[in-house]
Amino acid sequence: MLLRKRCDEHGEFEALVYGDAGRYLEIQRFDKPGTRPLRLQTDAVEGCPRDCGICPEHRQHSCLGIIEVNTRCNLDCPVCFAESGTGHAGDGFSLTLQQVEGMLDAFVAAEGEPEALQLSGGEPSIHPQILDMLAAARRRGIKLVMLNTNGIRLARDPRFAPALAELGIHVYLQFDGFDDATHLAIRGRRLQEERRRALDRCAEAGVSVSLAAAVERGVNEHELGAIVRFGVEHPAVNGVFFQPVTHSGRHPDFDPLRRLTNVDVIRGLCEQLPEWFREDDFIAVPCCSPTCRSATYALYDGDDLVPLPRLLDVEELLDYVANRAVPDLDVRHALEGLFSASAAGGTEATAARLDCVACAIALPEELRGVAARGFMIVAQDFQDPWTLDIGKLKKCCVSEIVPDGRMIPFCAYNSVGYREQVRAQLAADAEAAR
Amino acid sequence: MSAPADPLAALLEGAPASCCAEIYELPAVRWLLDGQLHPGGRELTLRAAQLAGIGAGSRALDVASGAGTTAMLLAGELGAQVTGVELGAEAVARAGAAAAERGLAGSVRFLAGDAASLPLPEAAVDAIVCECSLCLFADKPAAVREMARVLRPGGSIVVADVTVAPPGLPPALRTAAARVACVADALALEGIERLLRDAGLGLQAAERHDDALAAMARRVDARLRAARMLRVPALEPLRPQLEAAVELSREVRRAIDGGVLGYALVAARRPG
Repeated sequence: MLLRKRCDEHGEFEALVYGDAGRYLEIQRFDKPGTRPLRLQTDAVEGCPRDCGICPEHRQHSCLGIIEVNTRCNLDCPVCFAESGTGHAGDGFSLTLQQVEGMLDAFVAAEGEPEALQLSGGEPSIHPQILDMLAAARRRGIKLVMLNTNGIRLARDPRFAPALAELGIHVYLQFDGFDDATHLAIRGRRLQEERRRALDRCAEAGVSVSLAAAVERGVNEHELGAIVRFGVEHPAVNGVFFQPVTHSGRHPDFDPLRRLTNVDVIRGLCEQLPEWFREDDFIAVPCCSPTCRSATYALYDGDDLVPLPRLLDVEELLDYVANRAVPDLDVRHALEGLFSASAAGGTEATAARLDCVACAIALPEELRGVAARGFMIVAQDFQDPWTLDIGKLKKCCVSEIVPDGRMIPFCAYNSVGYREQVRAQLAADAEAAR
Repeated sequence: MSAPADPLAALLEGAPASCCAEIYELPAVRWLLDGQLHPGGRELTLRAAQLAGIGAGSRALDVASGAGTTAMLLAGELGAQVTGVELGAEAVARAGAAAAERGLAGSVRFLAGDAASLPLPEAAVDAIVCECSLCLFADKPAAVREMARVLRPGGSIVVADVTVAPPGLPPALRTAAARVACVADALALEGIERLLRDAGLGLQAAERHDDALAAMARRVDARLRAARMLRVPALEPLRPQLEAAVELSREVRRAIDGGVLGYALVAARRPG
């Protein structure tokens, strides 16, 4: 499926937005009507995507809020949509705890009871007040608070994982594969040992982890199966998020017609683990545009793995177009919570929802506890300037929360110029304060 | 799940399959099949009914009617007058009760009987469906002759069944357990056609539905593996049998993928 657009100034652009036209059309039926946030933040003046925060044209609330607490990083990856790094003292920023508290308050005001928040960066774990920031999010009743990290501090600082465990934080750990070539291409360094140590420390401390793999064509698409197998076998890991590398920010030359999309990631995984997965085990997540995110859950025991959709007709229960009798509403509600951008494996909310679903599969009582440990696998395709589609953007449910409290859809933030504006503003503020 | 699974355990250990109907009534087996006792579920049953020409007022016969699901579907959705014949007396009583509960007592009845000697007079019905059970009958030619006898001239019969293509089944699928899984004694599509022709019927249509069988095998496989993985204390004594069942299901899927095992609907008409 190609997206073609035309600019009066720059001419025609063409980009691959989905690797299979038939499936693209097929999954449109999972386009669930959106839910408005409690509070709008901006007026629609110039038209989408120029009016962010959440404006009257936006059609979905935010399942997941993201706060980037700094631009400093202890890595200089060749690929980085946030253009972070070790040498950014001059034009970078580091938010104060007070700023983050204000942003959290804005998130709560817009969402009421926010489901999920991620602190990101830069590398948020090196922010001196990161634990206070995470605690501030937990204090506001946000159910799933995640730390998006490269794991270096987790590996090196033995007190860090126990501190996260105490706060009930879920770790979203960069984990791109095992080959040296993968690490050098995506991270610029071999990080295998530090990743392993970080995970072992999480397991020891009882911190649950999702592995987040940036996937790039020709770099690590052959490692999809190995990453899932590793995650299933490691006691700290409850899920894997595959993200085709975004061509925003810092990224070398690329061909927008050869990018990876969700369906390519899913097919690759099925080819590498045919004993576990088929393409139809993956469900198009209905809260955002159905091409943005596909997910599945699986029962697993370290040896074997069974995708949940083989035990229950998830697609039928989430089909918003077919004119069928309304299914069991409790089960549909639980499935909507599971197949959403606010879900991660191994959390209490996920366990409760899986328990509800296990009941619908008529799993005997004693099996449900084990079923609740469902392993989550996600393919998440973010948009870049080539693939940005206003229709999808209006239903985006992942928001960057910025210091003035506006919530900006993630793909707009990275593709329209908001990131650059916010960064310049924060750098100017810091300069003025000096 | 443990106590009623014992006959299943015995079967998986190689005891002869004396009564399949009983096996299919076990809670553990029903859970494994998720209530869908044959490939393709409701949709393929409706397709078979269409091929058999079953509509409002048709006198239809369901041979090996089991829990009565198909008979109730034909009566409830298509308005047919349905007779279900099933070997197990207990299953007959339960199916009758289920039909009564759905207000279908006036249009569905269930009779205890053997397919090789149906408890119906000659030319008593307009159409017959026989789903996923020809492969289970010990004397297949006799069963088909009986169906031809009770069918009126001009009426149609649809056999829906598992099929086996050359080079035939691997040894692992020629066991008692495999027989219950409708596999060990299955015929080639041509074999089903020959049985129907030999009973004096004229072939009308043959349709392959191998995908439906593959989907069913995947569902059963998923549930078997889920049960094995979850290590329920009550099921632990059955673990060796569970291993055998998972192995059997793997063989079945391999045979389907290799084009050896399939599923087909065959329609034939009694001349006249």
